[in-house]
Amino acid sequence: MQEVRRKFVIPGDIVVEGNSRPLVNVHKSGNNIIASRIGIAEVGRDGAKVIPLSGVYIPRANDIVIGIIKDHSSLSWDVDINSCFSAHLPAQDLFGRDFSPARDDMSRELSSGDVVSARIATFDRTRDPILTVQDKDLGKIPLGELLKISATRVPRLIGKRGSMIQTIEHATSTRITIGQNGLIVVSGKNKDGTQLAIKAIRMVEEEAHTSNLTQRIKQLLGVEDNVQIDSKSRSGAPIDNDEGHDDSMLGDKKSVQSESESLSRDQ
Amino acid sequence: MSSSRRSTIILENLRKNQIRELIASGKRLDGRSPDELRPLNIEIGIIKKANGSAWVKLGNTEVVAGVKVETGEPFEGLENKGALIVSAEVLPTAASYIEPGPPDEETIELARVVDRGVRESEMLALDKLALIPGKIVYTIFVDCSIINMGGNLFDATSYAVVLALATSKIPVFEIIDEKVVDTGKIQDPPINTIPVSVTFARIGDSLVLDPSTEEEACMDARITLTTNSNGEYTAVQKGSNGFLTIEQVKSAAETAKIKGQELRLKFQELTTTGQ
Amino acid sequence: MTQTRSLIDENGIRTDGRTGNQLRDIQIKVGVIKNADGSALIEFGKNKIIAAVYGPREVHPKHMALTDRCLLRCRYHMSPFSTDTRKNPAPSRREVEISKVIREALQPALMLEDYPRATIDVYIEVLQADGGSRCAGIAAASVALADAGINMRDLVSACAAGKVDDKIVLDINDTEDKEGGADMPVAFMPNHKQITLLQLDGKLNSEEFIACLNEGITGCMKVYEVQRSALMQKYFGNETELKE
Repeated sequence: MQEVRRKFVIPGDIVVEGNSRPLVNVHKSGNNIIASRIGIAEVGRDGAKVIPLSGVYIPRANDIVIGIIKDHSSLSWDVDINSCFSAHLPAQDLFGRDFSPARDDMSRELSSGDVVSARIATFDRTRDPILTVQDKDLGKIPLGELLKISATRVPRLIGKRGSMIQTIEHATSTRITIGQNGLIVVSGKNKDGTQLAIKAIRMVEEEAHTSNLTQRIKQLLGVEDNVQIDSKSRSGAPIDNDEGHDDSMLGDKKSVQSESESLSRDQ
Repeated sequence: MSSSRRSTIILENLRKNQIRELIASGKRLDGRSPDELRPLNIEIGIIKKANGSAWVKLGNTEVVAGVKVETGEPFEGLENKGALIVSAEVLPTAASYIEPGPPDEETIELARVVDRGVRESEMLALDKLALIPGKIVYTIFVDCSIINMGGNLFDATSYAVVLALATSKIPVFEIIDEKVVDTGKIQDPPINTIPVSVTFARIGDSLVLDPSTEEEACMDARITLTTNSNGEYTAVQKGSNGFLTIEQVKSAAETAKIKGQELRLKFQELTTTGQ
Repeated sequence: MTQTRSLIDENGIRTDGRTGNQLRDIQIKVGVIKNADGSALIEFGKNKIIAAVYGPREVHPKHMALTDRCLLRCRYHMSPFSTDTRKNPAPSRREVEISKVIREALQPALMLEDYPRATIDVYIEVLQADGGSRCAGIAAASVALADAGINMRDLVSACAAGKVDDKIVLDINDTEDKEGGADMPVAFMPNHKQITLLQLDGKLNSEEFIACLNEGITGCMKVYEVQRSALMQKYFGNETELKE
């Protein structure tokens, strides 16, 4: 197991002195690596970084997000993805290349207030994100309850190879679709299951940085602590997330070992 | 020129449908019954520099009201009365869609409706606040800063104004050698009655009291009614783009009187104990 | 201005009971405005100020956006009941100037190049003012920015020093501001050791100037402790140490 030192930091705190590689949410000042965000600083063999505990979702190409349709122009829908930019879903993505505004009625497919899951097809520093729903299981979400959590807590909610979210789904008989942008849809057949799932999600959001969280979640759900959830890969939106997620737009998508990505040790 | 615009918060259709279904069966998203208020928390006297102040938290809506008493000219046609000026500002801290700038039509309507409820109920005996009738009178400013929007600004702002006024301490001014002098003494404001504002939203065929932001985003119409200690109506305002049936207005009026009295007793407790 | 009456008594006690280098009581609560991305309420002496941050977020109108970095907009505004005499709600020239210097005090700490085409809006609302409100506002805004998760090089702390009865004192209150000899607000990045706001209103000779500046920076470091512990309290609560 690689040696990793961790501590709580606020912006301006020294993460590590001396030669270490700056990874994400840190910056170099003189000979030191300094935290740029509030969060958990980690120094390991690869370098130094901060896992942030707050911050608006910054779009990244290939992220799966959940959005709400706001409006549409003649060629695309404007989608609220809970970020600092509006996203656009081109009409051609649903109607095909020969889409014609005169003939095809956009609001027949998606209208204002609809909830969709989509993938960010393109995004860079010079323009708004463009979405696509072409992949499997993307598109309008007709049923369920939508909630928002801080995007910084999404990795913790997913858990190592999806273990946290699957624990919640199995215990509450719900299906939970998670967007990297912090929007989540919970759908279940019975109301109590749905409400319990939402409670568990809120608890993860609040206590993401603490230890023994998995234990407490299992307690809340009435699941035995030693029950192993079979983490087979599931169809649908974005669950298998072993990779690190940094939300600085400049950071390259570094693949970091999953053990250092979870906000707490106790998985 | 007033133009209709879309709702400023985007409530997803899943949620709108959920709210409508729940309300049709007599329930609300946060578990309240249709006639129930959200948790109401009021702190008095937190702005020490003001003559009176109140910080109201009604659910997530937060409003701070401050009273400043000065002297000045009376209003035209009201020469024997003190001047009462109620204003409100929705601060840009309150929600993501609020932009800094002069008050828009919603905010102006809010301030005027709250003012009407206080003024027409004659909450303050303004005739006791003239120093030289026609020339110099007490000028009572009540200013509200809305710091977080969570729905039902009308009631939250009204409660803040009423409690700030009711618990204020007014300086005693005197005219000496034709000049206004602050004697350094303080007096209680001359209060006749405690007006209480109650607001309903119509969603489908049901009326719900004290709508939250999400309920306001799917409401068809709104009505605010203010009553005084005698159970008389002193201000009413129907709002939003939809309509109300006669039955709905009558039902709202009845509930407003009852709820008004319940709240009035709570407010009176606050004004006597001071905290 | 030149002082007319004595504001410090023979025992070195000031009008509000403090000694020359004593800071007023400070309390900071983080996350007080539910709708904002980040927020803080500061009580600095009798000052009661809320700072709320929305951002990074979309710019409206779109043509105002900058292509290579984030826009930073800042508004300092006083509620009408916040001062001794009621203040007209329309922005005064004083508020416009203060909005500008506050923006310029916060900007060096923010990594605006990380959020091109977006904006960060900082709103500082003074509910009660009592001398040093712009410094208290900066301290709260800085905490609110960190709460919002914006990339920052450092926090920004702020404190004013001044000259009263010909002595250099720390953190002047309203009376000392109005009647004293000089008022020097300072904003400072505590880890990078850089000054981001400096103003002087009054009359100081060379020694007094340096002494006042040093006093102001000392004050900033004390304010920093309060900012730091407020953020740690909100985010990490009672878990002060990470269990390895």
